[in-house]
Amino acid sequence: MAKINKTYLLMIIPALVVFFSFHTLPLLQGIFYSLTDYRGYGTWDFVGFKNYFNVFQDGRALNAYGFTFKFAIVSTIIVNIISILIAMGLNAKIKFRKSLRAIYFLPYILSLLIIGYIFKFMFTHLLPQLGRTLDWDFLSTNILGNPDLAWVGVVIVAVWQAAAFNTLLYLAGLATVDEQIYEAANIDGAGSWTKFWKITFPMIAPFFTINMVVAMKNFLMVFDQIVALTNGGPGHVTESISLLIFSSGFGGEFAYQSANAVIFFIVVVAISIFQLRLLERREEQ
Amino acid sequence: MTKITKKLLCIAMSTILLAGCTGSSSANGKITLEFFSVKSENIGIYQELIKEFEAKHPNIHVDLEQPPEAETVLRMKLTKNDTPDIIAFNGNPTYGEIAEVGVLHDFSGSDLVDKVQPKYFDMLDRLVGPERDGVYGLPYATNADVVVYNKQKFQELGLEIPKTWDEFINCLEIAKKAGETPIEFTLLEPWTTLPVWNTLAANLVPENFGELKDAGKTSFAETHQEVADKMLTLLQYGHRDNFGIDYNGGNRAFASGEGVFYLQINSSVPEIKRINPDIELGTFPLPVTNDPTETKLVSGVDVALSISKDTKHKKEALQFIEFLMKKENSQKYLEDQKTFSAIKGVTQDNSTYDGIRGYFEKGKLVSFQDHYYPTGLGPENNIQSFLIDQDKEAFLQKLDKEWEKVQNR
Repeated sequence: MAKINKTYLLMIIPALVVFFSFHTLPLLQGIFYSLTDYRGYGTWDFVGFKNYFNVFQDGRALNAYGFTFKFAIVSTIIVNIISILIAMGLNAKIKFRKSLRAIYFLPYILSLLIIGYIFKFMFTHLLPQLGRTLDWDFLSTNILGNPDLAWVGVVIVAVWQAAAFNTLLYLAGLATVDEQIYEAANIDGAGSWTKFWKITFPMIAPFFTINMVVAMKNFLMVFDQIVALTNGGPGHVTESISLLIFSSGFGGEFAYQSANAVIFFIVVVAISIFQLRLLERREEQ
Repeated sequence: MTKITKKLLCIAMSTILLAGCTGSSSANGKITLEFFSVKSENIGIYQELIKEFEAKHPNIHVDLEQPPEAETVLRMKLTKNDTPDIIAFNGNPTYGEIAEVGVLHDFSGSDLVDKVQPKYFDMLDRLVGPERDGVYGLPYATNADVVVYNKQKFQELGLEIPKTWDEFINCLEIAKKAGETPIEFTLLEPWTTLPVWNTLAANLVPENFGELKDAGKTSFAETHQEVADKMLTLLQYGHRDNFGIDYNGGNRAFASGEGVFYLQINSSVPEIKRINPDIELGTFPLPVTNDPTETKLVSGVDVALSISKDTKHKKEALQFIEFLMKKENSQKYLEDQKTFSAIKGVTQDNSTYDGIRGYFEKGKLVSFQDHYYPTGLGPENNIQSFLIDQDKEAFLQKLDKEWEKVQNR
């Protein structure tokens, strides 16, 4: 018994030490500093929960939460619809299926910042030209400079990039569905719509759950896309929480944004648990 | 949280690795000075000067560091108590904060202090605040908010350098009627609102606005009405995509002959010239009022040189700063950067600046207002929003509220 324990311990301890020192410890430090007025350097004092109260009264922080949620919800829904469609297409018996799968996975391999800068170039130089030729007013100027439309630009880039990974998960899900079920359905005379809702979707429901949770969590943490595209502008309309924490946190508000980070951490965990509970219950039905 | 921690770790680890590399080079008998600059435009001229310095001092190696988001990186280095030996600051609140914490060398009593025009020390002093005395930065290069104009177009339209606000508006009207873009705005990047904002505010609002506001004796809503109105007036003379063009795009457009006026900081001049070396540019200070004697040029410290208090190589660091501040080297810097010097007896003779040289000579200068706003206020994004939605009262009240909020933290 003792011998087995030792082997397991040897395996677990290095991972635990690394995880603790590079993940848990900084988290605890962040919580600690959120109770101070630390600027990132120099002297500091304890201020209790003052930073937390200030976050709730901070219009800029609330605006960042509002934008992040709007963005995450819209993007999660669009990504999942597009991913399911692409996955079913790639799962069908078509020519060049393997190479197409590789091509559709490409966006996930590219760096987000590079994608962002390429799209920014398109939004700034190519699309306004197109808009002017076609005489479409909303496209005739850079949408990233328009407070009502800038978020759409961010959604387009985020969805374009994230769809690759979610498609991969759905493809894995579709591979688990037994062909025989479809054959049986064919004999019963089911149409393709019925087949999707009654067979495909229920069979890949666990993958739907995972995709919803993963996509939501990733979109709540949105950072690189925004840095490359708008850097939070115009004004603060596309400022996500991660970006706010990063830019203000190292702009002299280290402790205050640590408090914001702790709140955000709790919010993300809560949403993920809520989603898992809700979707798992639906799966069981 | 986790994402930020990861990013932090990555940066921290890579700087540890870098530090390891530079540390080892001192093993071969050379002293390595870490020279950290928050500005990226002057990397070429620094490298040139460093080469000359190293040729004269073979035992010293100067390691120039100019990362993107430099002020953020600098703060992180301070967080780890890894203060660079020499720091070239911009004269903005970051300098004030870091000097206030007491990690910088005090130059008081040094010969170097006498080389600098005293009014630029005042600007730095006010950033540090009253609690700490001493000289923590040596102003080296200075800059100015100017109106850049395309000389060729200017002549074609038959314009003269405007001395008053009404004359300037008249110039814009003439340009507009001729089918030109009067002002090339680049408002996709929020900071490009600041040269306009600062020039208007510096000429219309008391220079100590920051102190008064801190003391609760004034507010944006009381004092900045005219500033906001005039910004909106200027915005009418932009192009069709004022908020869709960034600074680099604006420089390119202006260099290729789009736009008659460019309301910018003077460092845009070398950038435009690099794209189109043949373009002829002129500059003048934006006349804000209708009294030509009241117009002042907004100028501030662009580069201030500091040394870490705890550096192991203080003697060598001072040698390097002394070398940079020599007249001939300062002159080289000016020629390369097309900017102005804080060092006595060094003048910028480029003909582009004929229109503003007199203001330097007569000392008709006033400092950047936003340098005395608290960090974290972020006026530029608010100004950008205001120019988009044009709700003046809400905007000024928001600035007031944000100021109080930031103070409360």
